[in-house]
Amino acid sequence: MSTESPLVVLPGEAIDPSLIPTHKKKPLRLGPGLRHIPPSEIVPTVAGQLVVDHRKTSMWIEYNGGRYIPSQGDLIIGQIARSATDFYYVSLSPYTPNATLPHLAFESATKKTRPQLASGDLVYARVSLANRHMDPELECVNSSTGKSDGLGPLKDGMVFDVSLGFARRLLMAKSREEGKVEVLEALGEEGLAFETAVGRNGKVWVGSESVKAVVVVGRALRETDERGLGVEAQRKLVKKLVREMR
Amino acid sequence: MATTSSSPSMAIPGQFLGPVSKFQPGPGTHIHESNLYASLLGVVNIAQPAKAPGPVKRLNKIINTQTSPAELPTISVLRAAGSSDKREVLPEVGNVVLCRVIRIMPRQAVVAILICGDTVLEAEWQGLIRVQDVRATEKDRVKIYDSFRPGDIVRAEVISLGDQASYYLSTARNELGVIMATSEAGNTMYPVNWKEYKDPETGLSEPRKVAKPY
Repeated sequence: MSTESPLVVLPGEAIDPSLIPTHKKKPLRLGPGLRHIPPSEIVPTVAGQLVVDHRKTSMWIEYNGGRYIPSQGDLIIGQIARSATDFYYVSLSPYTPNATLPHLAFESATKKTRPQLASGDLVYARVSLANRHMDPELECVNSSTGKSDGLGPLKDGMVFDVSLGFARRLLMAKSREEGKVEVLEALGEEGLAFETAVGRNGKVWVGSESVKAVVVVGRALRETDERGLGVEAQRKLVKKLVREMR
Repeated sequence: MATTSSSPSMAIPGQFLGPVSKFQPGPGTHIHESNLYASLLGVVNIAQPAKAPGPVKRLNKIINTQTSPAELPTISVLRAAGSSDKREVLPEVGNVVLCRVIRIMPRQAVVAILICGDTVLEAEWQGLIRVQDVRATEKDRVKIYDSFRPGDIVRAEVISLGDQASYYLSTARNELGVIMATSEAGNTMYPVNWKEYKDPETGLSEPRKVAKPY
């Protein structure tokens, strides 16, 4: 349940207390972009749209930053930079230090049967440790269950760069309603067969049997992101691209 | 050198002090071909032996009195100093030191040794606390990020003189660990139990390897 008219806030702006959801029992939860200064001040730290959820008594800021800052639990697409004794160095973005991915952090990996990844390979991994004091650490397996849940090396296909905000919208559970992103579903409805992996660090991997499909999907994603298309415009774009392909 | 039985009052490194049959080696000296030579530049001290000496621990060498039948005087070379306060203290194995955490890495924490015993060191020596030396139990499941953070003051014990870069330290005892920590919000925290510090203003607690207060 977000507010009707989007409220855009700037860093340091005071927030109208009437917007803050209150509940007798549930404590207020602050998401990314907001900071609590005791005793009762809530201050935004980034510029973006303030989103308030009354059901969960939480509030956060939706913002489209340029720099990806890893946080625990994020799914990202990284490229292997090199291999060290016990782990791989994985590059998440060109401007941050490499993250480490242990050799054995894959599903059912032992010293003898582990995936041998070369420099330049892509992996879909989850951030297991991220804080501002240390370089981030990744894992390709769910450490509690031991299953990979779709994580691991990505073969073939192509990676496209998208903005961080667009990647977040693609990863939303209800991307059609809340994220206003329908481009992937529309492409699937047109009959293209492809698979995607979205990394929170602004990368989308597209894989398919036909190279044309990969290129069409990549173009659709890029145009939607760059031009900020709405749902209807996305459908038109998809129709146009598929027609050109055929 | 015409001196045959008397040893010099000042010595330079490598200077002959006396035969092993006449003196016991003390700090600042070494033995070469059953002769004592000075290792440091300084003043030569000759200490007469105590009446009933027991086995003496010197650095890492235990001198057993059974092997020295007659109580020989101990000869040592000490650095010449203007006043005794300026004598440089170096951390030795077994010393308890206070240090500040500089950097944390997945397998070790780099610290700067500030205080050795009771003396504040003039120079900051670098120390390393490896992940297997943080705790005595469950050494393989230690996370450095949950034990130390940059800026913490840690009480640790020197376990090795280490390599060229740093000493090796250990916090694997109850009374060793973080003694002062600052929270993310910038306030000084107080310890709650052996693994948590709490910020009194925000109420949030942060994990650390806490030292047991005396």
